[in-house]
Order: sequence, then structure tokens, then C-alpha cells
Amino acid sequence: MSKRELELYFGPQHLGMVGNFSITLKVEGDRILEATANPGYLHRGFEKLMELRTWIQNFPMVCRINVVEPDSMEMIYSMGVEKLAGIEVPERAHYIRSIYLELARVGSHLFGLWAYANMLGFDTVAQWAMYHRDLILDLFEELTGGRVYHIYIWPGGVRRDFPDGFKEKIVNTLHSIGSCVPDYDAVFFNNRIFYERAKDIGKITQKEAKEMGATGQALRATGMKYDIRKVEPYAAYDKVPWDVPSREDGDAYSRVWIIRDEMIESVHMIFKLIDKMPDGEVYNKVPNPFKWVIPKGEAYVRCESSRGELGLYVVSNDGDKPYRVHFRTPSYPHGLTVLEKVLKNASIADVGNIMISLYIVAPEIDR
Amino acid sequence: MKLLKKKIELAFDNVRVDVPESNRMVINAGKDTVLSILDLLKSEGYAHLALISCVDWQKDKEFELVYILSAYMQDNNIYDDKQKENIILRTRISRGNPEFITVISIFENAEPYEREIHEFFGIDFKGHPRLTPLFLEREYKIPPFRKDFDTRKYVKEVFDEIPFVENEDGKK
Repeated sequence: MSKRELELYFGPQHLGMVGNFSITLKVEGDRILEATANPGYLHRGFEKLMELRTWIQNFPMVCRINVVEPDSMEMIYSMGVEKLAGIEVPERAHYIRSIYLELARVGSHLFGLWAYANMLGFDTVAQWAMYHRDLILDLFEELTGGRVYHIYIWPGGVRRDFPDGFKEKIVNTLHSIGSCVPDYDAVFFNNRIFYERAKDIGKITQKEAKEMGATGQALRATGMKYDIRKVEPYAAYDKVPWDVPSREDGDAYSRVWIIRDEMIESVHMIFKLIDKMPDGEVYNKVPNPFKWVIPKGEAYVRCESSRGELGLYVVSNDGDKPYRVHFRTPSYPHGLTVLEKVLKNASIADVGNIMISLYIVAPEIDR
Repeated sequence: MKLLKKKIELAFDNVRVDVPESNRMVINAGKDTVLSILDLLKSEGYAHLALISCVDWQKDKEFELVYILSAYMQDNNIYDDKQKENIILRTRISRGNPEFITVISIFENAEPYEREIHEFFGIDFKGHPRLTPLFLEREYKIPPFRKDFDTRKYVKEVFDEIPFVENEDGKK
């Protein structure tokens, strides 16, 4: 190490850092020579603990893997159990799941927008985003009883049907959020400061993104419309027409714009799904959860969380508990492989910008 | 998938290929052939390494390493059936001598996965540039995700010794 180089600890408590995650930077002046990601501040050993609990008892744990968007974790675990046990899901439950997951996506993106706008100093926009996320949490509270962790999706369907008048409430809430999109655009997205601050920051090419296993916004910002909802449709995503937003440049500016476009696409999708929703059962009976033994087998299932490809590798060994569960979380390659590479030669002032635009949540890495 | 199955079965011995569903393929391979199979799969277009996982089969005295691959899109806008496919490549290594080779030369993003497996299962990946601790801060006698690691016993041993914080009057 030369005399001009300096080791700098960035996080876990830092203004530009969202979540319990830290990066060790080797810097020379303002320029980063090397970055090392240090996860582990939040590691709870969920995958081991899940081996000691029955299939149903694991639900409170899976949703805590991603604190910002717990719903896709419930979905992936249910998909895994359904695949292993061969359980069918009624048609109406597929639609409810899709609507519910898209609401969660909008809420998660608003949270991401809060983090990003706050980091850039757009406090007003951040407060709007947080307020609008809260409106969505109100919907969740009415539907499930919980604001952040819902445990609404179960193997075989969802826990209960929409209450009376709930569809109208969804439509009203989304209209009141959607009517603020011009405000968001005027103050934030079309703002020159956002452009200057985010353009060409944290740039990755499509080739690099593919080599590093990137998915989600990080990959879609390089032009590829790769989205598990389109690639391998689950729930009711193949029942209505919709489009995958993408951009060409691969920088922070593109990634944040994709977050905005995805929110709008999700809202339109919810309206279409509500119109097409069939009547019927929302839940297929599963065996007694206390005595539920799932035959020997393994499954890999995947879905698209708000951050990218979310996968679950689950093994059963003729037991009432899983033998092994392993989650493939999208932040894992983004936070440990992509981030270290992109931070090389960046400026210290851009660390938070790059990290939040890559949409990394620490609990997903730690599990 | 059927073409690929034939290709793999012809090119390697000691390999069993199953296609349990139309878009899932399970390859059971000997541990010497894993690198060349991964190389072949990557050149066939399955260039996305989604996950490396490890299962501890305590009764068989073996670890099972699981590589899950899928394909990115060829064109930015066109979806075809190839992206629906997932390939699960499994290999078993001895539990007494947990050693394997790293696959970083083929898939760059294997690095953190192998580091995690090294930390939680104690498998040594030959050729890995930094097998330093990723998540854990304490030393463990048995790597904690192995089946013989008893979480309750560990908690009792480590945390029962830490006394309760008492108030000034001596009450807990």
C-alpha cells in the first residue's frame, strides 16, 4: 500500500447507506481503487432454522428474508411447497396473488424511490414516496391484518378472499397515487439535477451484467427485457397483456427510470387483472399442517421479485420439515459481485448512489 | 432438451441425465466431469448461473453440490422456450474429505456462493482466490450448516455463560 492510499470503512452506519451492510474501500484521494463488500451484520441463519420447523411454521421466517418486500418471499416458498407436494391452486387465487404481488412491487419501488431520492437530497420527493407507500400498506392492513409482514399467500392459494368493496379501494388508492406521477416527473425524474447526478454513474455493459449473474433492473437497464414474469409465467401473469420496461445505457439513471416505468406498468396490470378476475374458491385444502409429510424430492422454482430473479432450491426427505432450503436472492450477486466491480474507479461521493440504484437490500444477502 | 441430453450422454461417461418435466433437466455427474459439463452447458447458451447450493447427506456420508443454470435471452426483445428451462447439475463429494474445484474460471459470480459454502459447510474450493469469512464472526468447531451441528446445544454452551444484566438491588 503506497502512502497516498487510505482504507475507508463505509457503513454499516452511514448517511449514504440504507441497510446493515458495509463496504471497505481502498481509496486514493477521491477515487476508489478497490472495494470489498462486508455482509453479515444481519445474518440470522434462516435456512438452518427452517430445517428445524415444519413446512407451515416456516412462513413467518421466509417473509423476514426481504424486509422491504416480504410478499414475493411468501410466493416463492409457497411455489416450492406446491411443486414438491403437487398441490393445485384455484384460478381466482392466481389472480389475487398477482394483484397482491404487484401491489407489493409498487410499495417496494416507492420505498426504493424514497431511499434514492433521500440520498440525492430530494427530501420532498422522498416524503411523497413514503406517504404513498403507506397508502399501500393500509390496503395490506385491511386485507391481511399486518402492515409489513402479511403471510397472506399459502400453499394451495391465499388465506382469504378480498373483503367487500376491496377492489374499489385498490382502484381508488392507485388512482390517487397515479395522479401524482406528473408531480414526481416535474420535481424529480425530469429534473436536471437528477440527470447530472445519475447519468453515466455505475455503468455496466450487457456482457458484464450477464457474466456477473445480474437480473432485474440491473440487467433490464442494459436493454434486455429479461423478466421471469414473462420468461416463465406464474400466477396470472400470462392472462393479461403487459410490457417489460427497459433502457439501453446500463447506468444509475436508467435503473431508476426503470423503477418508475415498472410502477406504472404494475398499476395498469392491476387494473386489467381486477377486470378479468373470475369468481370461485381461493383456497385448496392442504393436509393437516401438523402431520404434513412431503415425499422425497427436490425442486427449483423462481419468480420475479421487485429486485430481480428470486429462486428457491428446496429438498424434502420424506419429512414433515424441509431437509434443505436455499434462496437465490437477487441482491446476492448484485451486492457481492456487481457492486465490487462497479465501485472500482468510482468516486467516493457516488458509493451510495451506485448501491441504492443497484437496489440492494442487506437482509436478502444475509438471510 | 432431448438433443442436449443425448449430447451430454455421448460426451461424458459416469453421467446420468433425467428430464422430469419438459423444462427441467437434472444431471448427476461424477466430480471429475463437473467443470467440463459446465463448460459445455455455457457454450450451449445456459450462461446464467443462478445458484450454487450444497446439501449435507449425513447418512450417506456425502455432500451434494448443486449448480442451477438457466439461459439469458439471445435477442433483447424476443422470448423463446429456452429461457423456461432450468438445468440442475448435481455432484457428490465425500464428507470426510470435503474438497472440490472452483468454477470461477467459467462463471464469475460463483465466487460469493463458494465462499458461503466454504463457511457454512467447510468445503474447500481449490483455486478460489479468497476463502475468507463472509458472514460469520465467531469460530465454529463444526461448520454451522452441517446436519450434525446442534443449534440448541451451541446456544446453551455459548450464551448460557453470559449472565443476566441485574439491577442495582440485585433483582433480575
